[in-house]
Amino acid sequence: MTDQDRDRQFEAARASAAQRDAGTRPALSVVVPVYNEEENIPPLVSAIRDALAYTDSWELLLVDDGSTDTTVAIAEELAARDGRIRVLKLARHYGQTAAMQAGFDHARGAVVVTMDGDLQNDPADIPRLVARLEEGFDLVAGYRERRQDKVLTRKIPSWVANRLIRRVTGVPIRDNGCSLKAYRRELLDRLHLYADLHRFIPAVAAATAGARITEIPVRHHPRLHGRSKYGLSRTVKVMLDLITVKTIQEVRERPLQLFGVGALGACLCGIAFAIAAVVAHASFITQKAQSVVFPGVSLLWFGLAFYLLMLGLIAEAALREELPRGRGSMPVVREVGGK
Amino acid sequence: MSSVGVEVSRVAFATQPEQGGAPVSVSVIVPVIERPESLADLYREFSAPLRAAGRSFEFLFVCEPWAYSLAEPIIDLARAGEPIRVLEVALSAGETTLLKAAGAHAKAEIVVTLPAYRRVEAEALLTLITRVEQGADIALARRWPRRDSWINRIQSRILHALIGRVAGAELHDIACGVRAMRRDVLLDLPVYGDLARFLPLFAMREGYRVVEVNAPQHKGDVQTRIYGPGIYLRRMLDVLGLFFLLRFTDKPLRFFGLIGSALLLAGAAVLVTLFIQRVGGQGIADRPVLLLGVLLVVLGVQAIALGLVGEIVVYLHAPSRRPYRLARPSNADLPER
Repeated sequence: MTDQDRDRQFEAARASAAQRDAGTRPALSVVVPVYNEEENIPPLVSAIRDALAYTDSWELLLVDDGSTDTTVAIAEELAARDGRIRVLKLARHYGQTAAMQAGFDHARGAVVVTMDGDLQNDPADIPRLVARLEEGFDLVAGYRERRQDKVLTRKIPSWVANRLIRRVTGVPIRDNGCSLKAYRRELLDRLHLYADLHRFIPAVAAATAGARITEIPVRHHPRLHGRSKYGLSRTVKVMLDLITVKTIQEVRERPLQLFGVGALGACLCGIAFAIAAVVAHASFITQKAQSVVFPGVSLLWFGLAFYLLMLGLIAEAALREELPRGRGSMPVVREVGGK
Repeated sequence: MSSVGVEVSRVAFATQPEQGGAPVSVSVIVPVIERPESLADLYREFSAPLRAAGRSFEFLFVCEPWAYSLAEPIIDLARAGEPIRVLEVALSAGETTLLKAAGAHAKAEIVVTLPAYRRVEAEALLTLITRVEQGADIALARRWPRRDSWINRIQSRILHALIGRVAGAELHDIACGVRAMRRDVLLDLPVYGDLARFLPLFAMREGYRVVEVNAPQHKGDVQTRIYGPGIYLRRMLDVLGLFFLLRFTDKPLRFFGLIGSALLLAGAAVLVTLFIQRVGGQGIADRPVLLLGVLLVVLGVQAIALGLVGEIVVYLHAPSRRPYRLARPSNADLPER
């Protein structure tokens, strides 16, 4: 009997055991979005297996984000040998946020850990994340203590972005870009990711799902196989997304206030120019252009104020439509005290 | 059928009752829009190869109110026992809406959409259907070899080059309208109104497998088409709409914010320049460029504000929609064991 055969037999026995208690949910789900990571998957899976040897109640969910290489075949091969590994295939390449949300939707564990598929995160950190979560947090984020990336293109932009995100959202997380995070199932039920919000998960979780968040240092390794799938061009996108997150955070239940403030500002500008027009008219002989420019500017500002107010009303109408279901209703997440 | 928007108001004629009857392998949907050719001739021509290949099929003619009377000869054929159903919708609606309404009534798992005028030789239907049976979600007919005039071809080239840039899809004949697809794909696609032309692009966006199949152009389709300027303008609007719908519906601020920031920056540059000149002692009350600066700022703020409203709406709807679709398992994808 060769090693491989023995291996297979062992795995088969384990798979059937896993099948037996398929009805029971695993304690821990590890969700890994993968996109063209054929070389990284086998070492990743064995590293996860080693890291989780302390418990048998886990599952690994590999979310294939439309890979064009042999990632799926390799993942399915591994899944066929180990019943704790599941492969979820997306219909095309959607991006990391959608892949993560797919993982969240299909993970069965009471605790869900996400990590990158490129081996830069270390699965050996998972037990510490989970332990920290169990101290009473909904989300434990890892931060890369000694980050192994290029300084100019990765570390500096990331440092700036993280500072900015921290300042704007007020959520004290120093490394938003690290995928290694642990989540409580109940939090994920309230968290809905879309577009590119994966970069702001702590902020979105705090703002829209009321998460108790903390962070711990995690290891970070240089990339061995494959290419990094990020670039510098994200800056503008991140800025705009940050505006979105901030807006949602601040005004998700009262958009008219945001637009009202804007309208007030525009009104003040309008009044200022109206006064300037009167002063200009009174103080020197009016030429044709002078009688037009300041009043015109003033009217533009009033026009903007009017427009913003109308827009705020539309936003309120959209909110009202959603009130009876979805975002409008806020579940009670915990009951404390009492009996 | 709230998702469709327009219900079929009346099944004007059906050989078989709604439920039951012999199994049907293909439903051919003919939306009767614009000025159709003789529907009876169309039916005879396009049903012939299906019949010759021994396929069970049905033809669904969907008519808008103005076209009810056009279906009379078809209803006669149906009375004579041909597998034809005529569906009338209550309101005028875009082609997509008609297709979806008919799709909801189709009996077969595979549907073919066939314009009410001849585009390709009838035999092409069989190839299209086969491709879907082999695993494609949508098989599109591409009129090729083309017998058209060079004017048509150049127009088509330009449009498709534009679309290719916008949608990142390499398709050659989106206007053809002859396609075979799985029925549930038709019903699932987030298209409406006049977007039928771009249906394959939205399908690709949803991760469906779209293939193009060469089909000889029909003799009757060969004519030089030069349209009024209105049509070209509308096509350009289509491309703009496509650009937004395919890329930004889940992140509107990326679109409006980018436009808005550009306007805002331009406006700010003008205003800062004026401010420096004012501090330098030059009056600004007679400078119309001040109006331009403020106008740019106002437009920029408007665009960004609109994008934020879009983001609020997207955020509100996030719990009720999934940002991904899982791949459909096919036989080829299953592991060997």
